Amino acid sequence: MSRILVVDDEPGIRKVVRDALERDGHEVVPAIDGEEALERFAEGTFDLVVTDLAMPRVDGLELVKEIRRRSPVPVLVLTVRGEEREKVRLLDQGADDYVTKPFGVAELVARVRALLRRRESARGPEITRWGDIEVDPEARTVRKGGELVHLTPLEFSILATLLRRPGAVWTHRQLMAEVWGTTAGVTNDTLRVHLGGIRRKLEDDPNRPRWFVTEPWVGYRFSPDT
Amino acid sequence: MKRAPLWIGYPAAVVVVAATTAALKLFPNLTEASVALLLLLAVFLCASIWQSGPGVAAAILSTLVFNFFFLPPLYTLTIQDPRNVTALVVFLVSGLLIGRLSALSRRRLAQLEAERRDLVALTDLSQGFLADTNRETLLGVAADRLRQALLAEQVVIFVPGADGALAPAATTAEAEARSDLAELAWKQGNSAAFPSTLGGTDIYLPINLGVHRVGALAARGLRSSERLAEASAALLGLALERERFLRIARDAEMTRASDDMKTTLLAALAHDLKTPVATARGAVENWASRAGDEAARPALEAIASLTRHIEDLMKVVRLDAGVAAPRRERVTAREIVEAAVARFGEALASHSLYVDLPPEDIPLDVDPSQLTEALGQGLENAALYSAPGTEVRVSVDESDGQARFEVTDRGPGVPEGDRDRVFGRFVRLSDSGAAEGSGLGLFIARRLVEMNGGRVRLLAAEPRGLRFEMLVPRAAG
Repeated sequence: MSRILVVDDEPGIRKVVRDALERDGHEVVPAIDGEEALERFAEGTFDLVVTDLAMPRVDGLELVKEIRRRSPVPVLVLTVRGEEREKVRLLDQGADDYVTKPFGVAELVARVRALLRRRESARGPEITRWGDIEVDPEARTVRKGGELVHLTPLEFSILATLLRRPGAVWTHRQLMAEVWGTTAGVTNDTLRVHLGGIRRKLEDDPNRPRWFVTEPWVGYRFSPDT
Repeated sequence: MKRAPLWIGYPAAVVVVAATTAALKLFPNLTEASVALLLLLAVFLCASIWQSGPGVAAAILSTLVFNFFFLPPLYTLTIQDPRNVTALVVFLVSGLLIGRLSALSRRRLAQLEAERRDLVALTDLSQGFLADTNRETLLGVAADRLRQALLAEQVVIFVPGADGALAPAATTAEAEARSDLAELAWKQGNSAAFPSTLGGTDIYLPINLGVHRVGALAARGLRSSERLAEASAALLGLALERERFLRIARDAEMTRASDDMKTTLLAALAHDLKTPVATARGAVENWASRAGDEAARPALEAIASLTRHIEDLMKVVRLDAGVAAPRRERVTAREIVEAAVARFGEALASHSLYVDLPPEDIPLDVDPSQLTEALGQGLENAALYSAPGTEVRVSVDESDGQARFEVTDRGPGVPEGDRDRVFGRFVRLSDSGAAEGSGLGLFIARRLVEMNGGRVRLLAAEPRGLRFEMLVPRAAG
């Protein structure tokens, strides 16, 4: 059972999120704004934080920054569909994922599970098997349906990076920094070419990827559940 | 400073020389050399006070006086000692030279003084112009500043008005100037200067800014130099231009601030509209997990429809508020298709979606979010108006230097006569069968595509169905 901190100034949303997560077997601690959230956060340990973006006093973005300063706990943000720039800013500040209002309960629960699994994998072994794919990080080999698939070294680096945070969105900048060690001289086009390679080799239908999902104008997500 | 008329110098020179002579006669023991020196002093005095004419007169007069009163034989103009002839010639030449030199140095001094005054006037003027930061106050005080700087009686500044005709924009009190000469200065750059009925000079000058003429300056009863007037006109041109740039910058700043405000308000509005809908959807879905999907379906469908309406309305409000200016960047047509499928593909979950992408990618300079949104409208339309299980095809290719995006469905299509009409606001065809649409989707798509330099239209698909086509110019280079 995971402990989840749910932060929203709307009582309705708090109740909906709480009911959904409790039904999925989690313990939920509610907070009515960023200030209270930080107090709760200081009192106990949490496996995940779900927070609204627009709140009075300490807003979602500040809360994410503050939590990130203290802990690597995954953070899921509830936003209103709007600016991609805002999402990129959120993710670059340390949020792990977002869902847009009005979100479906099933989607919310799935995202929460994915982020929690990442927390598990951070303690234990990484995810190396999903669908018909098998990754051996030591040998740097990948099999699809038992057949050995040849990935280029860069493709493998990107794959390994994405696997480290299943369910989380990586912004373009974050991926570049992680894989190349710099964002200078690497363009989104470069990334797209390598992602295209990974999809062509691992996805069943590269034009409608299930696992290596594009978050338009934001980045990419490894999503082993969908 | 008023100066005595020039002819006064001649009698004055005579008086000075006579007085000097009388004084020298009181001292009979003076040597001829001393007398000569003191007479030269008188010449110098005359030349430096009354300038060259009286100076020369004093020199000639002193020569005669020297000969008549002091060189033997006294009281005659004859000379006894031939050596004194040389002395007299030397005396005359010296007197003339002294007169000339002192007059020259005096004139130089006056010139320097005038230049210094011009510089001071120009400095004051430019400081004054810099202190004024909007056209009304600038022009209002510019005429008075110029009148003071130019020592003129009247100043008129002509600037073309909104109708393009030259008109006085600022004048000093009771000033009148000839608009034909101002027109000539402005149109052809001809300046005119002539003696004024007010004393001094009347001058008409173009106000230049680089190679452009931005107006004309008339100064009447001018008592300073024309050069100063020209420099002042140039300064005025610069001041007007600076004021124009300041105004543009201020307007831009105000527009930006009001756009920021609108964006913030719209974000708050979106949040306030969507939060209750999110609560309703979540509550119904939580309830459905106990009561069963069947019971909840009508509520969830209504909420989905409400969500679409809110999204579409927010988009239209954003477009109307003018905060949706495209932020162009270099992307590829393939990315747009991928993004649209990723974001709007959910609506097509029960259709068979085919994606055709070109082997060669097509670069575009567009706002990627806006174009994705527009193509997404095409996909949502296909999902709404064609039966589940049928085929929806999205493709992009290049034709005539344009990227051609297409969404083709196997629905009933749109009759040819209605294909333009449906791009209007709140237009929904009565027999379209689906009631979920807001009637804004195509309107939004067209606005977004056109803002990014493209076109959008509806065509018939073969053998049946609708073809939603977006044409967007390929990026140069």
